[in-house]
Amino acid sequence: MSGIFWLASYPKSGNTWLRLALQSLEAGGAPVRFDEDKDNWWERKDRGRVGGIVSSRPFFESHLNVESSDLTAEEIEELRPQAIIAWAEGENSPIIKTHDAFLSSRGTPLFPDGSTRGAVVIVRDPRDVAVSFADHSGLSIDAAIDKMADPGGMLAGGTKRLANQFSQRLPTWSGHLAGWLEAPVPKLMVRYEEMKTDMASVLAKVAAFVEIDAPAAAVARAVAATGFDKLQAEEDRIGFRERAPNCRQFFRRGVAGGWRDTLTAEQVGRIETDHGAMMRRLGYEVSA
Amino acid sequence: MTDAVLCGLRVAGDLSLPELLPWTGDDRAPDLTIRLGEVPPIAEPVCGGPLLQVAADGSCRFEVAAVAAYRVDAGGREITIAPAVDSDSPDVRVFLFGTVFAIVCFRRNLLPLHASVVKIAGKAVAFSGASGAGKSTLAAAFLKRGYAILADDVAVVDPAAPGRALVWPAMPRLKLWRDMMDGFAFDTDGLERARVQLEKYHLPVETFAPEPVPLAAVYHLVEAREQRHEEMRLLSGVEAFLALDRAVYRRQLGLRLVGKEELFARSRAAASAVRSVRLSRLVSLARADAIVDQIAARETAA
Repeated sequence: MSGIFWLASYPKSGNTWLRLALQSLEAGGAPVRFDEDKDNWWERKDRGRVGGIVSSRPFFESHLNVESSDLTAEEIEELRPQAIIAWAEGENSPIIKTHDAFLSSRGTPLFPDGSTRGAVVIVRDPRDVAVSFADHSGLSIDAAIDKMADPGGMLAGGTKRLANQFSQRLPTWSGHLAGWLEAPVPKLMVRYEEMKTDMASVLAKVAAFVEIDAPAAAVARAVAATGFDKLQAEEDRIGFRERAPNCRQFFRRGVAGGWRDTLTAEQVGRIETDHGAMMRRLGYEVSA
Repeated sequence: MTDAVLCGLRVAGDLSLPELLPWTGDDRAPDLTIRLGEVPPIAEPVCGGPLLQVAADGSCRFEVAAVAAYRVDAGGREITIAPAVDSDSPDVRVFLFGTVFAIVCFRRNLLPLHASVVKIAGKAVAFSGASGAGKSTLAAAFLKRGYAILADDVAVVDPAAPGRALVWPAMPRLKLWRDMMDGFAFDTDGLERARVQLEKYHLPVETFAPEPVPLAAVYHLVEAREQRHEEMRLLSGVEAFLALDRAVYRRQLGLRLVGKEELFARSRAAASAVRSVRLSRLVSLARADAIVDQIAARETAA
């Protein structure tokens, strides 16, 4: 078993950006096209090592031979690690995105022992996450801040409709990060803010960790190919499937520190109260 | 004793299958027998995963622990079920008509597609896509407009039917989640749920096409995020084949059971007999009627 490299983060922390940059890098710095066929990434070895998101229903169904929409939430939670391990056994260290918490609600790893080769944990200032998460989810900023502090927080799912992804646990922004940062697997932490100031260095560091060849020229091309303006233009041209229905644009603003002109002092205070300990641990300056 | 029809097969046995139509065909022996009994684990499976294992003799065992264990013999002629719940509970039939029946299809030279099928201008038109792609929703939009349904979620194609691929009608019902039941103003009162924990309802349909119909087209559903990105594009050659191959229901299982060469041969036969269309559209009830109109116009003209 060679194991999976996870790109793990809370939503709206730069995970998709990093994934697209790795995908470009793997292709020598090729332009990123959103309409390229990415379906069934888990069974197509010609598609390179960078795949999609592990909360995808077809991924699960293909490995367990069952219709996921006929299973209960409890059955799905119990079976997801088995789908992951069944896949990890046959693969050449794919690089896969996830927003799932490391631990399931039962307190056992969603990503079972032996399935993980390593985790790139992407972190972003929670004050910027709140603004972006609100826009992405069609929530008010206050509601997004509530969700980031909710130990029972979930992404997608529900019992009345069929979401095309499984619901993913988001046990608070701090709890989500703590779960991944303390997971007993090899880890590399990268910051969104560093990606903004020096994506080339971050990409080279990540490429070394996930074992993708990264000649400097290819890194430079991949960084240029996934510049924010390029991703926005591509979203405008063809649309981006990961954009949530309530949100106008997936690649919205792409700045670090944008919270300063968006959040009220009260909202900043709430986030810092909720997540001060984790913010300090990660080196984010707390105003109070 | 059950004596019913499922996708052209005469089904007999001691499990009650109220969603199926009664058998009205010739007096042949049952094609498929379903009985209740023991389904012991396979001692040394030749391949298998957590839920499904294949024995050296070609028989398969599938189990959802809280519901039932199922065995399908190597020929796809006999199913044995060991329920963990009341054998009449719908949960037992959910997996019977899903993965378990897919095994039967693979074993009987049929091709199960992950698709819902409606009848338009005398022809079968399939909508394929992964879970959540909107197959049943689009079928419901056609139902609302008076079109007949042939199959929902799983569509059984006979790729070897002389001259063309035939779709065998499954059962007169649609599976719809609560949000779509409400959206189409279907009453959920008294309707069976797929699982008691899920708000996924079984909606009986009156306009059902009980005879096999030649498959004219498969629309592969893709979600567009904006109306300006919608498209209806005819696929050809390799692209059409790959789209159909990917539409195979429980495709990985099919590859294991019949092998790549045979599964590809079935997909190729079906792909060569039908039009493949990539349908990228907004997934919104507000667009559903317009999309029904576009497809109906296209199929009536074809």
